[in-house]
Amino acid sequence: MILIKALFLSLLLCGQGFASEDLLAGIAARLVKTPITQGEFHQQKHLKVLHKPLISSGTFTYDQNKGVIWKTLTPVVSVLLVNESKLLTGQGEQAVPAAFGKVFKAMLGGDLAALTDGFNVTGSDQKTSWQLELTPKDDMLKKVIGTMLLSGDTELRKLEIREAGGNVTDIAFDNISHPAQLTDEQQADFERLSP
Amino acid sequence: MLVICILGAQALTKDWLETGFLALLPANEQQPEIAKATRQHNELSNRKVIWLAGATTSEEAIGHAQKLKRQLEQSRLFSKVVLEFSPQQYIRQYQRLFSYRYQLLDTQTQAMLANNPDRLIKQNLEILNSPIGQMQAADLERDSALLFSRYFNSQNPVKLNLEQGIVVLPDKNKFWALVLTDLQDERLQLDKLETLSALVDSATEQVKAAGGELLVSGMALFTAHGAESAKQEISTVGIGSSLGIIVLLWATFRSVRPLLLSSLAIGSGLLAALVVCVLFFGKIHILTLVFGASLIGVADDYAQHFLCDSFGETDWSPRKGLRFILPGLSLGLISNLLSYAGLGFSPFPGLQEVALFSAAGLLFAWLTVVLLFPLLLSGFTFNHRPGILKLTTYWEQHWPLWVSKNRRCLGLLLIVFTSGGLWLLTPQDDVRLLQSPPAGLLRTADKIRQLFPMSPDSQFFLVSGKDQADWHRNEQRLLERLDALKSQKALAAYEGLSRYWPDANQQQQNYQLLKHSWYDSGLLERYMTDLGFDRAAVQSELKQFAAAEGNTLALPEWLAAADQNKQQLWLGCDAGRCQSTVTLTGINDINALAAVHDLPGVAWVDQVESVSSLFARYRIRASGLLAIAFCLASLGLAYKFGWRNGATIMSVPVLALAVSLAMLGWFNQLFSLFNLFALLLVLGIGVDYGLFFFMAGDRRASTSLGVTLSALTTLLAFGLLAVSSTEIVHAFGFTVTCGIVTALLSAPLIGLKGQKL
Repeated sequence: MILIKALFLSLLLCGQGFASEDLLAGIAARLVKTPITQGEFHQQKHLKVLHKPLISSGTFTYDQNKGVIWKTLTPVVSVLLVNESKLLTGQGEQAVPAAFGKVFKAMLGGDLAALTDGFNVTGSDQKTSWQLELTPKDDMLKKVIGTMLLSGDTELRKLEIREAGGNVTDIAFDNISHPAQLTDEQQADFERLSP
Repeated sequence: MLVICILGAQALTKDWLETGFLALLPANEQQPEIAKATRQHNELSNRKVIWLAGATTSEEAIGHAQKLKRQLEQSRLFSKVVLEFSPQQYIRQYQRLFSYRYQLLDTQTQAMLANNPDRLIKQNLEILNSPIGQMQAADLERDSALLFSRYFNSQNPVKLNLEQGIVVLPDKNKFWALVLTDLQDERLQLDKLETLSALVDSATEQVKAAGGELLVSGMALFTAHGAESAKQEISTVGIGSSLGIIVLLWATFRSVRPLLLSSLAIGSGLLAALVVCVLFFGKIHILTLVFGASLIGVADDYAQHFLCDSFGETDWSPRKGLRFILPGLSLGLISNLLSYAGLGFSPFPGLQEVALFSAAGLLFAWLTVVLLFPLLLSGFTFNHRPGILKLTTYWEQHWPLWVSKNRRCLGLLLIVFTSGGLWLLTPQDDVRLLQSPPAGLLRTADKIRQLFPMSPDSQFFLVSGKDQADWHRNEQRLLERLDALKSQKALAAYEGLSRYWPDANQQQQNYQLLKHSWYDSGLLERYMTDLGFDRAAVQSELKQFAAAEGNTLALPEWLAAADQNKQQLWLGCDAGRCQSTVTLTGINDINALAAVHDLPGVAWVDQVESVSSLFARYRIRASGLLAIAFCLASLGLAYKFGWRNGATIMSVPVLALAVSLAMLGWFNQLFSLFNLFALLLVLGIGVDYGLFFFMAGDRRASTSLGVTLSALTTLLAFGLLAVSSTEIVHAFGFTVTCGIVTALLSAPLIGLKGQKL
């Protein structure tokens, strides 16, 4: 009986999945949308070859116009800066992985509709929380990323990336706030992204 | 004539036209290895055409590019059309090189291991914890310290964003999808170039209609534009001048015969010149054809002079006329042949070709006039006095008088004018000044270079060594210098093989460095254990490292795994010499780069500079030869008429040359090798005019008509070229115009009884 119920539920979920645009619009309507979002993150990477997860934490800043600052504080300090066309890491400038810039912008900026460009989206929208499952459309990206699971309420709270090779990354977002202005330090970091 | 035609039919069936600039160089001018490297470098870059389809979103841009790709493939112009960059090549390369991972280290990792191996651990943690470290994390199983991942990534220093395997270049509010094509043939036929231009136009229209934008660039487009505009100009100028000449000759002679005859004289001269040249040299350069053909324009003088002589006497017959003008014609021919002979003695094949071409052409035109005209003109008389004859007669009588009345004032003016102009005259030999690509094409090319800074500049280094080790050492030294220059922003990037392929010696050093700093020191074990690898993984890693000690990756094996651009850097080893090229991108400070050639085994190759300096040398040589030609003609005339008279005749071309040069100076016109060909033409024509008037005697009226007609036809034929937007052609036309007008004005001043200029 439980099994049948579960099957029914998942069918329902699939049904909702087809109406992904309505779903996304519903979720997006609940998200707090401001030009600037910042908070803390805790990340766990479960790699197949390692018997314990790689754990890191730090802060993130999203600016609608300028991009994202991803500052890892433990275990080593490093800064990753990204906008739609540029990606800077401790190793210098790198290619922006196709999905990366867009996904960050869509997720942190609440522009969920943009996600349908690169992903097939299914999910559910309940009273207090919502969940989305993204599968890449791009064949090349598919080889790296299997699915991405997003969940949250008025904010994005959790992101899980399941790689095609079996590695899993969990990121939890806490202490999210929406300041009206960037700090000087954040300004200076974004400065490095501008050409 | 028959013989020429038969020989011509045989000679011209072969491949007889040469278009490469380098073919003009004397054989010893170019070192063969530099020539070979240049050829290879050009072959690669001349074939490339880069297409960027732009739109506001990357999906749209990709959509445009996909449609574009299909269109390009259908055109059959390209041997390669690349839109999707398949990961297969990278995977294959990864697999082929992976077993040599302990021998291959990129420079940064090398430095890190040597100075501060702890840093490697920190950097790895950074990479692995990064939200974008998925790829590296996935490699961790094979490549525990990410050493090979580092080496592999350093092979592609410019990081490009791929979407669906397609390179997408971000721009302000725009995305560009990249399509790379290689033309089938490096030296495109004219009709293929036209197809290419048409293809570019229609593709641009289609992308635009779909709401996007298309940028296209490539060497072939510049060539296509040059060929197109030259063709257009030559046809407009050609039609204009032909019409002008027809009207002029018709108005004078009221008969088509003179027109046909002068065409015959020039035509037979051209054909004969072409045939003789091809028989003698095997091939003829397109520039020879252009300038040689211009110089044969002198032949027009002979025809006009003969024809106009018919107005000189009432009972004129071709034979009588010929008897009268033959000395003048023959002397004109000899003085011209003498002046071209000077060119023939230069060591430059280009000038030799021009000399032989013009001499042969002129000789045959002269033969046509002297041998065929009397036959073809039999029964040819005029019973009208053309209006232009009245005009030239009046002109011939009154102009010299006016000049001699004002000679003090005019003389002073002339001296000030010419000396001022000559003072201002500055030679310009930069080959880039000679090309005049439209601003639009240049802008697009710049924009593409800024978005996709991957196509190497035309300058490069040629590195050689007596064996592979020697070559490797030399190139490494060069790359070190280039690194320093790169940090000073003298260039954006470079590509050199030894950056990626360490030689056997260095491979051993790499291995030893790793062994001592990373494996034997216990760092690897600590790193792997801390990260969470299990014991077995650590043991296996140590075992693999130990087993790889004797490995050496040979260059051919490395090349086999590399992409085409890198493969082409290697020129191979032969007869005790190994060579490679180092290509450069985004050059800012060319002098700083050119100064690097002091390193052993390193040669700086700058084709633009070498062609420019070639032009400069040609210009200086040709100036000398012009002076020699002038002396030879003067000597000839002095021998025949005495010094005083010789000088009188030569005063016409001298004045014409001086005024031409002064005009170039005053109007700040391009003064290069090409003007000198125009000056040679002016010299030849000036001598003719002077001679004709000097020997006119009592036939000054008909001589004046002949010279005027000849000058007007020359102006129509060559002077009109001054309106061209192609710099060389314009410079040629401008010089000829100034010289001919001056010769026309000064010639009637001589030969007057009791009066000398």
